Amino acid sequence: MTSLSISAPSGSRLLRSGFLLPAILVAIVAILVVAPLLRILFTTLTPEGIAAWKAVLASPLSANLWWRPLLNTMILGFSVGGGCLLIGGFLAWLVVLTDVPGRRFLGLMASLPYMIPSFAAALAWGTLFRNSRLGGSAGFFETSGLAIPDWLAWGLIPTAIVLIAHYYSLAYTIIAAALSSVGADLVEAGQMAGAKRPRIFFGIILPVVTPALIAAASLTFAGAVANFAAPALLGLPVRMQTLSTRLFGMIETGQNERGFVLALLLIAVSALFLWLSDRIVSGRKAFITVTGKGGRTKRFPLGAWRWPLFAVAVVIGFLTTVLPVLVLAASSLAPQSGALFSNWTLHFWIGEGGGEMAQGQAGIFRNPVLIDAIWNTIRLGLVVAFTTMLLGLGLAYTIVQRRGSLLATLLSQLAFLPLLVPSIAFAAAYIALFGAPIGPLPSLYGTFALLVIAASAHNLPFAVQSGRSVLGQISADIEESARLTGAGLTRRLFAIIFPLAIRGLFAGAILVFVKMVRDLSLVVLLFTATSPVLSMVAYRYAAEGFMQFANAITLVILVVCLAASFVAHSLQNRVQKWKAQ
Amino acid sequence: MNALATGAADAIKIRSLVKRFGAFTAVKDVNISVPAGSFLVLVGPSGCGKSTLLRMLAGLESPSEGEIAFVGQTVSSGAGGVIADAGKRNAGLVFQSYALWPHMTVAGNIAWPLKVARWPRDKREQRVREVLSLLGIDTLAERYPAEISGGQQQRVAIARTIAPQPSILLFDEPLSNLDAKLRIEMRSELMRIHRATGATSVYVTHDQVEAMTMATHVAVLNNGRVEQFGKPIDLLRNPQTTFVATFLGTPPANLIPVRRAGDGLVFNDMMLAPAALAAGRDEAQLLYRAEDVSVGAVAGAPSLMARFAEAAPIAGRTMVTAMVGDLRVTAMADNYFTATPGEAIPLSFIRTPDAVFAATGERIQQ
Repeated sequence: MTSLSISAPSGSRLLRSGFLLPAILVAIVAILVVAPLLRILFTTLTPEGIAAWKAVLASPLSANLWWRPLLNTMILGFSVGGGCLLIGGFLAWLVVLTDVPGRRFLGLMASLPYMIPSFAAALAWGTLFRNSRLGGSAGFFETSGLAIPDWLAWGLIPTAIVLIAHYYSLAYTIIAAALSSVGADLVEAGQMAGAKRPRIFFGIILPVVTPALIAAASLTFAGAVANFAAPALLGLPVRMQTLSTRLFGMIETGQNERGFVLALLLIAVSALFLWLSDRIVSGRKAFITVTGKGGRTKRFPLGAWRWPLFAVAVVIGFLTTVLPVLVLAASSLAPQSGALFSNWTLHFWIGEGGGEMAQGQAGIFRNPVLIDAIWNTIRLGLVVAFTTMLLGLGLAYTIVQRRGSLLATLLSQLAFLPLLVPSIAFAAAYIALFGAPIGPLPSLYGTFALLVIAASAHNLPFAVQSGRSVLGQISADIEESARLTGAGLTRRLFAIIFPLAIRGLFAGAILVFVKMVRDLSLVVLLFTATSPVLSMVAYRYAAEGFMQFANAITLVILVVCLAASFVAHSLQNRVQKWKAQ
Repeated sequence: MNALATGAADAIKIRSLVKRFGAFTAVKDVNISVPAGSFLVLVGPSGCGKSTLLRMLAGLESPSEGEIAFVGQTVSSGAGGVIADAGKRNAGLVFQSYALWPHMTVAGNIAWPLKVARWPRDKREQRVREVLSLLGIDTLAERYPAEISGGQQQRVAIARTIAPQPSILLFDEPLSNLDAKLRIEMRSELMRIHRATGATSVYVTHDQVEAMTMATHVAVLNNGRVEQFGKPIDLLRNPQTTFVATFLGTPPANLIPVRRAGDGLVFNDMMLAPAALAAGRDEAQLLYRAEDVSVGAVAGAPSLMARFAEAAPIAGRTMVTAMVGDLRVTAMADNYFTATPGEAIPLSFIRTPDAVFAATGERIQQ
């Protein structure tokens, strides 16, 4: 080490930055991830905390506080995981392994629902299926004379359906990627052995993609367990509680300790299942890395089933992407929420307040809170996208450079910790840490800064992953050949690394932006009137029964997300001209 | 299945075979037959249609025209498509990528085709042990493909293919992913296995050395057509086209373009051969082996000056490459020879040309 630093001309600077960057990163990760989790744990170990543990786990209240929400959460998790596996797997099989017509189109349709916030589907469901049991205006079907039973209007079943409609596209993406890595050679080798199609499917294809199936099931399970919007909108009105809605309720009513206990339990449940699935997948059988050559995949002829199966896939895509958006749009124009297609008005968008409609409230674009929220949301998305990608790049660089060292292992483990923590529980941890002043620092609760910090921390796993994939595209040779010309670190960074990395960074940043704009479960606890964001405003309107306003705002969120994706797409092609289309 | 008699029961008989992909014709009118136990090598540059031909033999592609018969049974034809499925042809294919099933152990990979073929358990286990030891990989039985080296994966792929005792073995550039030393080792290994199994083999490669060393029959393919088919030594001695003449043989042979001047064939104002060789044509190409061209002036032999390019020692002599204008000429020098690149050296044509070709590429028979 010493001899090296002597021979290098800028040795002292190198040496300093060599320690400085990792030290800063460790400190940041510790504050962002470890501190809140430790804090929430310690808060529940105080006398009040112990009492909360008892109340939640072993008291007459515990059935309501813990066991029933746990049961609901588990039912939701398993049904969503299973449903997503079936639908996502079916679509992935259809698109990747068969000669179904319009494969690109179907693939695009299947990947869209994940771009739409889960509360959009929940709101659309309510708009269609809401019945009059709880008072308020009935939904489209009941108004049209179709009696909707309670089980279809509220509770577990609609929540599960809405969550499946949202998360199946995540399962699709994972399974489709795995299926397209099954080389045609593997299949043809089976054909040469004389195996028939079912035998090849069950004997070769299915086992090879099993790790991906498990990953898809566990990630959609974790997503459903952590989701707040759908159970809150479709379950809370009939007092169906999941762990996340219970946790929200506790903190909102000031019972912070009980909320923290529930947050810890929710983390434990979610982490346990993710860990279990990881155990099954890893080890000697982690063969996902072995792939065929050239990425050629074998497509099986469907014969007479081509068009019927195409129709099934189109219907699935239509019901989960186009229909919800249409319903929300129609509802935002209809004065009576049940009569979707009559007396359309722009009142909920641009109407002036004071009239008879909507209890005198003005349309959303005349509402100063909403205008505020739009800017806040975009600002939040941009700032978090920037901080996340910056942190991710720094962490990934350090982890790759010091591969194998204790520091790298520590950093990568810590950075992936938030993956195990449902976002609403993470928000609870941030309240535990920053809810009160720390020393000279004021309480951050309700500030924009807290939202940014919490969101950056929550996105760390994604950031590191995309940082690594970005750096992975820049081979060590390229950097070293630049180094041999005598270019310094800064010069290399701006002339070589940055231009090559920009596309990946940009794609990652857009994804973070979209995730933030449509996020509800993280901001729902951290939001206050001083820092409103769109998703929260929409949720508030929905909770108060102003469905048209909620639906209109959800459409605004959708437009922002789609616009971001579009901008990203058109910019990407311009940023790196040397890449073939 | 109706057996369509094709006369003498060649192990493999390919007749007028054509394969089109849309407007592109990958295989054009191929006719090849080989007797049982042969080792047929399909050799040619990449994109010449050799892999497509092999996939049609395997039953993974159907021909557009013509037919393929195994031991007198038509297995594919332009009219009937794939008549016998890939699995029903009693043929095995070794893939270039090995195509080992990653979720099965080495033993599992070898046993699976036997399971599909409903071999009883004890016979199956015995056969797996047999092929494992035939390929010298007994110790790897319980490993997963990802846990063994490329050369070992290659052996497993071969073991898996020969386990069901197919009467026809197909190889798709099986050695192209191995390093040079391992390639030579596996070459002899494959020939040993060919002798041990007695299966008729079809082997696709772009490496002419593999073709010359392993084959009993060689088909040289170019642009989807068979340029020449026969025994390797015949192809080497009597190439019928300039493509075959320059593609086969180490070091590569020289083709010298000449024109008729008086009663001689002339290159750069120097007479190389009598005009009679060109059979009345004004232009021709003369084939000289590297050993027919010597470095240095030789009394009585036509010689010309060339610019030295590179030298490589081979078996006690030196292969010298030099440029005459834009023409690259390979010659042999005794002992070790070297010169400065660009230096002028004399080359002598010490023997008569081995063959004469028309300017369009076909052989002029003498």
